[in-house]
Amino acid sequence: MAAAIETKQLTKSYKSRAAGNINVVDNLDLHVEEGEIFGFLGPNGAGKTTTIKMLLGIIYPTSGEGFVLGKEIGDMAVHRLISYLPERPYYYEHMTGLELLKFYGSLFGIYDEAKYRALLEKVNLHRDMTKTISQYSKGMQQRVGLAQSLLNDPKLLFLDEPTGGLDPIAHREIRDLILSFRDEGRTVFISSHELSEVELICDRVAIINKGIIERQGKLTELLHGGRIEITVGGVDEAFLKGLNIPDSNIRGLPVGVLMDMPEEQDPNGIIDAVRNRKGTVISVVPRRKRLEDLFVETVTNPALGGKPSVPPAVAEEIVK
Amino acid sequence: MRQILSIATTTVGEAIRRRVLLIILLIGVLFLVVAPGLGVLSARSETVVLRGMMLGIIQLTSAVIAIVLTVYMIPNEIERRTIYTILSKPVQRWQFLIGKYLGAVFSLGLMMALMTAVLVFVFWLQASDQSLAAVGAMVKAPTMYFVQMSLLAAVAIFFSTFVAPLVNFFLTGGMYLLGSLFNPFFQTLQENQGTHPVTKAFAGIVNTILPNFANYNVQNPIINPTQVIQNESRYYLEVTFYGLFYIGILLVAGILIFDRREV
Ligand SMILES: Nc1ncnc2c1ncn2[C@@H]1O[C@H](COP(=O)(O)OP(=O)(O)OP(=O)(O)O)[C@@H](O)[C@H]1O
Ligand SMILES: [Mg+2]
Repeated sequence: MAAAIETKQLTKSYKSRAAGNINVVDNLDLHVEEGEIFGFLGPNGAGKTTTIKMLLGIIYPTSGEGFVLGKEIGDMAVHRLISYLPERPYYYEHMTGLELLKFYGSLFGIYDEAKYRALLEKVNLHRDMTKTISQYSKGMQQRVGLAQSLLNDPKLLFLDEPTGGLDPIAHREIRDLILSFRDEGRTVFISSHELSEVELICDRVAIINKGIIERQGKLTELLHGGRIEITVGGVDEAFLKGLNIPDSNIRGLPVGVLMDMPEEQDPNGIIDAVRNRKGTVISVVPRRKRLEDLFVETVTNPALGGKPSVPPAVAEEIVK
Repeated sequence: MRQILSIATTTVGEAIRRRVLLIILLIGVLFLVVAPGLGVLSARSETVVLRGMMLGIIQLTSAVIAIVLTVYMIPNEIERRTIYTILSKPVQRWQFLIGKYLGAVFSLGLMMALMTAVLVFVFWLQASDQSLAAVGAMVKAPTMYFVQMSLLAAVAIFFSTFVAPLVNFFLTGGMYLLGSLFNPFFQTLQENQGTHPVTKAFAGIVNTILPNFANYNVQNPIINPTQVIQNESRYYLEVTFYGLFYIGILLVAGILIFDRREV
């Protein structure tokens, strides 16, 4: 598949009085495939918005290069094929929803009243299209923003924190809209702090911290490395230790003994062994790795220290 | 072109809703309406002086509106991030800047037209000659002010591409005062036979760089009592072209700066 976004050592530095030049975005190598929902994650100030603005040609890179839909960044022709929903956006308040779409449409040369109405309907604003933006709630403003971002039938959408500050219902509405974008064959590049949401909708993610990409890859691969917890009764810790399960931890509980082990381990062998010993299996609980765990681990683990991280699968092989 | 027009139209829509501008405009109109009632003037000179006073009110109000309108225009777009959605569409920065400028000029035109209408109405009521030609003569000065204000707006837009609004306010306001009051002085200095060559060259440079706002203070007996114009239409045409030329230079310079700037 072709790359929708590709950056090579993309860097943006700002002068700061205290620290001289700081790289707010530091030698970024991003790779986003066509047709996927890509999550761009990182703590506040990590450089997400700065990266998006560079990709859109709103600010200029200090060094490195970037390609959007195969064209070097800044190419106006690309602007016909992409769209952008800024973080905490603001629209001309005196306009109605319909007038707003008319305005943005005219920038593309699109004068199609039926299209404006259809888009407002898609984001569930058709009943409010004659209200002015100043009368819109935050959620409605965000939805009208999504409607304007669809005007040109974009192949690639940049959404910067599209659900920031919205209630759970609005969250779900916007999540469903974003999923519908993928079904329509669009690529979505989304920056977000809502990790549980990202986990639900994204195909691949990159985690950026202090301008450096710490992790990038398929969500399923990055979240590899979950654990299974087995609680058993009627056997002692020594018995479980004797099973020699690699990378396992065993500790006593009031109700029995708990062992956790990598998710690749087949629990059936252990269950059989316990039963043969006339023990009882109290529970088997898979503890899937959550994106939140990965995020916190990536951002707070000083050992990773900005160096490209070793994927968990490889790490395990080294351990073995 | 359609991008420029859309941006300009939207700018007008915003400008005519800005409360500050409407209040300034309202104050201006109020002064225009009460001016004839200030019957402190002797009957003989009354019309001439009243006219000068009303033109002065129009000019001052327009200048304040022009500056307040334009110094915030670009910074506001950046601060409120409206510029990001626009620039992510197929809109070049120069188109954005020109659209904004044209929007400012349209808005100014609308507001000045309103004030001029008040002026014309007041004089039309009491004039003996109520012909169309008489009305035409009355709008000559405001038309020249419009060119002046368009030039002033271009100065403000130019500065707004690299300085903060408050600084710009004083910078543009200062340019206006200098260009209105001192340009004639430097011009005399430059043209005077007895001037020292160095002073002469200096005056020439100032004259060229500083936009000559004084050009447009025609027909105002209070500000320019001595100005005599031989060929009126030719003079108007000349200063209008001077204005357009100067505006063009300012906009091109503004675009060059804005293009390289981080927004
Ligand atoms: N114009 C600027 N001048 C100096 N520093 C800047 C400028 N713009 C951004 N920065 C710095 O760059 C860093 C990254 O900012 P950016 O907005 O990209 O972060 P972000 O990842 O989008 O954060 P958030 O999640 O809070 O939106 C921040 O430390 C910010 O202070
Ligand atoms: Mg951000």
